[in-house]
Amino acid sequence: MGRNTLIQIRGLSKVFESDKARVEALTDLTLDVYQGELLCITGPTGCGKTTLLRILAGLESPNAGEVLLNGRAVSKPGADRGFVFQEFALFPWRSTRKNIEFGLEIKGTAPEKRQEVVDSYLKLVGLQGFEDAVPRQLSSGMKQRVAIARALTNDPEVLLMDEPFGSLDAQTRNIMQKELLRIWAQTKKTVMFVTHSVDEAVYLADRIVILTARPGTVKKVIEA
Amino acid sequence: MKEKQRTLLIKLLLGIVALAVFFFIWDLVAARDPRGLLPRPVSIFSTLIRVVITNERDPTGHVFSEHVVASLFRVSYGFFLAAVVAIPVGLLWGYSLYAEGISRPLVELFRPIPPFAWIPFAIIFFRDPFDAVFIVYLASFFPIVLSTVAGVKAVDSVLIDAARTLGANKRQLFGKVIVPASLPHIMTGLRIGLGIGWMAIVAAELVGVREGGLGFYIHVMSDDFGLYENVFAGMFLVGIIGFLMITAISYVERRLSRWAGIL
Repeated sequence: MGRNTLIQIRGLSKVFESDKARVEALTDLTLDVYQGELLCITGPTGCGKTTLLRILAGLESPNAGEVLLNGRAVSKPGADRGFVFQEFALFPWRSTRKNIEFGLEIKGTAPEKRQEVVDSYLKLVGLQGFEDAVPRQLSSGMKQRVAIARALTNDPEVLLMDEPFGSLDAQTRNIMQKELLRIWAQTKKTVMFVTHSVDEAVYLADRIVILTARPGTVKKVIEA
Repeated sequence: MKEKQRTLLIKLLLGIVALAVFFFIWDLVAARDPRGLLPRPVSIFSTLIRVVITNERDPTGHVFSEHVVASLFRVSYGFFLAAVVAIPVGLLWGYSLYAEGISRPLVELFRPIPPFAWIPFAIIFFRDPFDAVFIVYLASFFPIVLSTVAGVKAVDSVLIDAARTLGANKRQLFGKVIVPASLPHIMTGLRIGLGIGWMAIVAAELVGVREGGLGFYIHVMSDDFGLYENVFAGMFLVGIIGFLMITAISYVERRLSRWAGIL
């Protein structure tokens, strides 16, 4: 199988410094991410999994190294990389529809077109009938569906998911894992999925990257 | 729901009992006041009801409603101006380091000065009604600014991250996330600002800001005419109007908090 590299991570290091402490989160991390794969990143607590994802999103900048997306360096957040947060991060004052629509609204997409795109993603994540609900009326599983749809409407190159099911109960979590596989199969998106659960990684991934304890770097890559 | 109604009922009953006991003791004291300067509660309330219903003309030539309208007009004017200036200043201060650098020293310098200390200046510098409006403006301004700043600083950083990853630029982030997320705090600032503004207007009118207004009414009824029932009737009305304003704005505040997902 010919693999196209979508993301090249080269020699990435990140140090968090405050007055009192200096934490080396990542050190010299190099990794290729392939087009269309579902890549799980796992490792011990504090190994920098989340930091890696946040650097890819452009929410943090590395102290050394670089990230190339389609050969272009990533330096700040952009609509070409969708992000799904563990805390859902839905805008509480916006309905399901308005949350999902956010990225299109930002881009200035015409309202009719927005409606059409949002409808298709509502269908994809199974939220028809909940368009007008606001986040506090939704269960946590549904909230994460909204967040996934919201990240997908921008049609990003890669979907970055930071322990997205970490705060869900076991049953909802199982359902959402299946849903993610279905959505992934349907959209053919490249997904980078951070989890501390090896079970979850094994269940979901094409390929699993295991990071070392802090400072994190690639310890092992397992082809599933 | 039943439990909620029960606690509400208990609170209501206790409130009524507390008021009754308070006014009973007041009445005991008033009845024994040899100088007769402290009116009895019954005569205060009957005076209040009489002046409100008959809208009687007082010895200064004003009908009662003119005083109420004058105070409400001044407080609304000053409060409105304060909100119009303080909300944008607070939003920018909370969001931008530059704006904070500019605003903070100015605000911190003037904030400790009680608005009432400006009354002598206001009287010589402004014409009616702007002397009183100015005092209300000063009184309302600081709580609104500071609550707004607190609101911006309290915006959940994950919402900011989410908006940025969805492609929002700084301006969009401000308009679509920071402002709506800060609204409940802004509302709290408006509630506090209005309460203080209302106290300030009465004080300003009392100390000598020209003609009319409830503070003026209280002042002249006491100093010029010795009508102490009217003095207290005016005071109670100040309290009642303040209470109604705060209740109304608190309602909006709760609705907004719910809307913004804070409750």
